[in-house]
Amino acid sequence: MSDRAMIFVDILKYTVVAATPLLYASIGGLFSELAGMLNIALEGLMGIGAFFGMAAAGLSHNVFIGAVAAITSAVAASLLMGAVTIRFRANVFIVGLAINLLAGGVTTVLSQRWYHTKAVVAFSLPAPLPAFPAALAQIPFVGPILFSHSVLTVCAWLWAIGAAFIIRNSRHGIRIRATGMNAQAVSVLGYSPDRARVAAMIWSGVGSGLGGFALGLSISAFVPNIVSGRGWIALVAIYLGQKKPLWIAASCLLFAFAESLSNYVQGFSSIPPLLVLALPYAVTLVSLIAAGNKK
Amino acid sequence: MRAERELQSPARVVLAVGVSIALAAGVLALFSQDLGSALAQFFLEPFSNRYFLGNYLADAVPLMIAGLGVLIAFRSKNFNLGGEGQLYAGALAAGLIALRVPAGTAPVVVWIWVAVAGALTGAAIGALSGLLKAFWRVSEMISSFLISAIVINVSDFFITGPLQDPASNFQTTRQIVPQFLLPRILAPSKLDVSLGLAIVLILVFMVVAKRTRVGFELRICGENEEFARYCGIPVAAYQVAAMAVSGGLYGLAGALLVIGPQGRVMRGFSSGLGWSAISVALLAQGNEAGVVPAALFIAFLSTGSDHVMMGSGVPSEIISILQAVAMCFISAGALPRFRRRQS
Repeated sequence: MSDRAMIFVDILKYTVVAATPLLYASIGGLFSELAGMLNIALEGLMGIGAFFGMAAAGLSHNVFIGAVAAITSAVAASLLMGAVTIRFRANVFIVGLAINLLAGGVTTVLSQRWYHTKAVVAFSLPAPLPAFPAALAQIPFVGPILFSHSVLTVCAWLWAIGAAFIIRNSRHGIRIRATGMNAQAVSVLGYSPDRARVAAMIWSGVGSGLGGFALGLSISAFVPNIVSGRGWIALVAIYLGQKKPLWIAASCLLFAFAESLSNYVQGFSSIPPLLVLALPYAVTLVSLIAAGNKK
Repeated sequence: MRAERELQSPARVVLAVGVSIALAAGVLALFSQDLGSALAQFFLEPFSNRYFLGNYLADAVPLMIAGLGVLIAFRSKNFNLGGEGQLYAGALAAGLIALRVPAGTAPVVVWIWVAVAGALTGAAIGALSGLLKAFWRVSEMISSFLISAIVINVSDFFITGPLQDPASNFQTTRQIVPQFLLPRILAPSKLDVSLGLAIVLILVFMVVAKRTRVGFELRICGENEEFARYCGIPVAAYQVAAMAVSGGLYGLAGALLVIGPQGRVMRGFSSGLGWSAISVALLAQGNEAGVVPAALFIAFLSTGSDHVMMGSGVPSEIISILQAVAMCFISAGALPRFRRRQS
């Protein structure tokens, strides 16, 4: 393989890796979006999942326990958010903002208490479980791009496919969608729109928790601000994907490609890295505008 | 239906203030070895002498200015989440001017240029989100956040690249020459005359809101967009204007920090201020006059937690937790009653 082809394969391979947290979080956020609540707290929920997931994985030396902790902590936070907005009738944006602030505060304070640093906490974890037999990863080009990934990455795609099925075909998914369209009609039919909203918040928590954890695992560490805008990018993916799971997945791949490209360009060009770091946000902004115009 | 008790707006504020103070005390009790002295540091030290008091007030000034802007945007139902970037860009514009003007320029001229440049820079960035909302139906929350993220990266590039002070180990521009810094009051603290400007701005915005057509129409846009359109009010123009004013006041706050307490543009110096201004606007409950006590309260929480951090090892990030809790209480419209009403 020529050098140029190697680089190309590397960028695409990292695109799949970088899409994993986005995919988990945006599919999670899709549920609350469909229930009629724009969940701006994805960012904070991802941070919570990353911190508690990595902390538990580090403590137990077990990635599975880490994933469970990531889900539990993010769901707890999203239930808190659901309680304040639904039970106490607070504004969902303000509470979302509050959750983002809370996540930053709690993770930094606890990082200081537990690890005595507000900077990088590195964890030594068992090597990620490969999802495919090693032989498949040896196939030129396609192997490294598609078959070199861990179970967690493959699960992100199963999560998207599963969500598509639940939303389209299950009674549960239909109730969530109906709540977003016309909550009154749902309650006239004898179902509780509040229950559907809480369920949607739980889905959001599961997705963003796992997304945050995937982010932590990909660098085997936790840093405050590890999420750095990915929760917002995941939110835009929901719009760009027009609230359809598979299109959302495609949008995540697009944003992940921008991230992968900017990572690569940072190392190998004369363009200042700080400007390159703005690239994923710029791509996201442009696609947000494109998606907005289509309405 | 669940029985609920409506919360009146003063009750929300009292609850939010009370709970966040109680929580602050609770966190201190959990984390500090010597609770008595930690509490004293949190609650009393900021007021204990001229220096601490001045610095505390200096922290409240940008919160008043930026909080006022958030409040105006709220009134028209616009939610500006790009404050961090707008503040940073305003500061950078201010730094560019204050560092480049010839040494002989009259300081007043420099201050005016710096303030105008900061405000215009922030306003342009805010207006962009307003335009996107008005004409492309793009959520102003998401666009302002994303634009802010881009602006922060680009500003960081200028601060650490072309403008980096070669003599400093920190990522910062050079110091601005002392004669271009705003005159201090309550020396040796960092408090300067921008406190007066903040108060004047709040008064001006109060008059505009209560006595002018513009203030009245802005309120109608926020309360009922459909009705405003029906009345022939140019809703799109008000959306853009509200975001521009909000961004402009963030930019102004950043510019005044550069020719005031900071004296230079440092990487990351805005961290958190953009979000705190939102807490201020929420606490003020749609009332310009409320911005002053709200800014004083949020500044008190952050000053208090800074003092405690120096003293007893609790990271100053507890301020975010306190603010988050205050926000939830302010926003809650009702307290559920846990038993059913007999009806």
